[in-house]
Amino acid sequence: MIAGPILLLVIPLAMAGIVYLVLRWETLAALLAIGTAMALGFAIILLPLDQPVHVWGGQQIALGETVSFFGRELILDPSDRVAMALFFFTSAILFALAWRIAPRSLFLPVGLGLLSLLSGALLIRPLIYAALLLVIAAALSVFALQPAEGRPTRGGMRYLTFATLALPGLLVTHWLMDRYALTPDDTSLLGISAVLLTISFASLLGVVPFHTWVPAIFSDGVPLAGAFVLTVGNGAVWFLLLDFLEMYSWLSAHPEFDSLILMAGTGLVIVGGLLAPAQRRVGSLVGYAALVDTGAMLIALGLNSKVGLTLLFLALLVRPVGVALMAVGLSGLRTCCGDDDRWDGMRGVGWQMPWSTTALLFGGLSVAGFPVSAGFVWRWSLYRTLVSSHPGTAVCLLLASIAVLGGVWHGLFVLLERPHSQKNRSVIPLVTTEGWVKGGVILVVVLICIGLGLFPQLVAPWASRLTDGYTFFVP
Amino acid sequence: MPTLGDIVTRLSFLAAMPAVAAIFITTSLLVVSREWRLNVFALAVQYFFVVLLMTRLIRLEVAAVKGLIGWMICMVFYMTERRASELASYADGGAESISRWRRWVMSARAAFCLLSMLLVAVAANTAALRFPLPEVSSDITLACYVMAGLGLLLIGLSEAPMQVGFGLLTFLSAFDLFYVALEPSLAVAGLLGAVSFLIALAVAYLRASQVAVGDGESSA
Repeated sequence: MIAGPILLLVIPLAMAGIVYLVLRWETLAALLAIGTAMALGFAIILLPLDQPVHVWGGQQIALGETVSFFGRELILDPSDRVAMALFFFTSAILFALAWRIAPRSLFLPVGLGLLSLLSGALLIRPLIYAALLLVIAAALSVFALQPAEGRPTRGGMRYLTFATLALPGLLVTHWLMDRYALTPDDTSLLGISAVLLTISFASLLGVVPFHTWVPAIFSDGVPLAGAFVLTVGNGAVWFLLLDFLEMYSWLSAHPEFDSLILMAGTGLVIVGGLLAPAQRRVGSLVGYAALVDTGAMLIALGLNSKVGLTLLFLALLVRPVGVALMAVGLSGLRTCCGDDDRWDGMRGVGWQMPWSTTALLFGGLSVAGFPVSAGFVWRWSLYRTLVSSHPGTAVCLLLASIAVLGGVWHGLFVLLERPHSQKNRSVIPLVTTEGWVKGGVILVVVLICIGLGLFPQLVAPWASRLTDGYTFFVP
Repeated sequence: MPTLGDIVTRLSFLAAMPAVAAIFITTSLLVVSREWRLNVFALAVQYFFVVLLMTRLIRLEVAAVKGLIGWMICMVFYMTERRASELASYADGGAESISRWRRWVMSARAAFCLLSMLLVAVAANTAALRFPLPEVSSDITLACYVMAGLGLLLIGLSEAPMQVGFGLLTFLSAFDLFYVALEPSLAVAGLLGAVSFLIALAVAYLRASQVAVGDGESSA
């Protein structure tokens, strides 16, 4: 009998090697990466946890079987199941986009390797090993973030730096908690643990003042790899945070917990909202827009209720669509302008790159939570919840979202600007330089974005199922 | 032929304040110097003394493996920088000898780094006296604070991949030295070694990218 958790670690890793070998055949490499991610995503959702399944050659796969790996346990919980399916399907979308946007880049093989590591981070117990795997994943993601021909990515280096600086806090907390179990009278241990955990997760999630890596990975890194880090990588960090809160329930029961998380989220929203429209580069705009989104997710967590947690999961489910679209738009526009993503150099480029402009627009709308986009699904509910309990926070979030929209709107004006004179007007080509296949892939993701906005019931049950796995919040 | 245990026994008189002093000197060199040969040598010596201190906390074999990982990291850095300097010398021609001399002159940057390093060292010493780390002795506490503080300083002073890499690895060594006393598990030791090695590979990859775009000298 083959234990399912082992397969979830080994298959992506093995496929990463194969994809690396066939990287020169871009379609084959992309198909292998997409196929692996999709197959594993469907396997996680469809295969039963409680009984083995017969496969070819008389072999059996037991997805829910606990495996001992070097003395540590690998456990696939029902809540982890949805989370891992989210990772695999998000990766499949990003790999599909990379097929036309970033062919032959290291993103495909490294992305598969990262999937293996992040799956391990979700499955392994105790949690200190998850923290170590997350930092290893951060180091590996530098290879994906670095453009093939470009200066060394500051974003990748900063991401690695903040992930490494977060590690000691997570590991020492585990030891402090073990010690607290032996000496429950020593409550100072709880205070130290709370401080260490706060700093560590603030670094990993990019909370102010540890946020500088988020705009940086979009400023000079491969945009799709940046989207991977912010959706799949950060998704794993969110689930690790929730696992910590579930395991150490005193943390969420702390009287200052709600206000601290709300303050961190509001601070992030304010900083992102103030800086997003002021950016002169598309990449920085994408980064600050993502920061506002992360701030909103923290605000949802700070509600410390079942509704707040469901909204957080809803955000995790729909976020990849918006961030991926913005990354695709950024990638296309940057390629067209010779790796320069300053707005000043992009006047009128939207006419040459209509699909990238469309992707940037719809991605921006979704990340800002504009109606009839994927991001609106959870933002509307968050506003409604906040208005009664925290009206000031709701106003801040609304203003920050408008600021992000302002940045996108300004970009749209620049991209669609036409020369004033009749003579110059003729230099704008009426034929797009983007292929129809690329357009088709972008169109599919845009339709998914609108579809999720119109039919939120498609994802809401999954968010609900994820919430059922946690009990730390106030009922 | 003496065994590893014999050698460590002979050197055990160093595994206290002399090791802390050596760690302080090597880490200070990393902060102040931009000469890659000196930096790689300083990092290798720093790993040696960290391992020597670790032998007081964990089994000799485990400490030796940690040392081997550290020296492998130094080899990666050495080969990367050697190739980078070769490429830079092809590009610069005769300018290499001038720039080599210039490195040894006390620049404003080096003076600033020296001053910052002294301030951080004083802060680390104060922290070691006021906030002693659990499960480790006072000299190891001081070594941890010095390496963590100067590692953070290195990270903050530059965005060049090699300098940040030296900073990250120094910071991780500080944490490793402390954490082996709390969690002597082999799996944790292995994963921490993997983290260090992957950081080194990522840094070398970024450095290679830097050289490829013709920006070879800026980080050396």
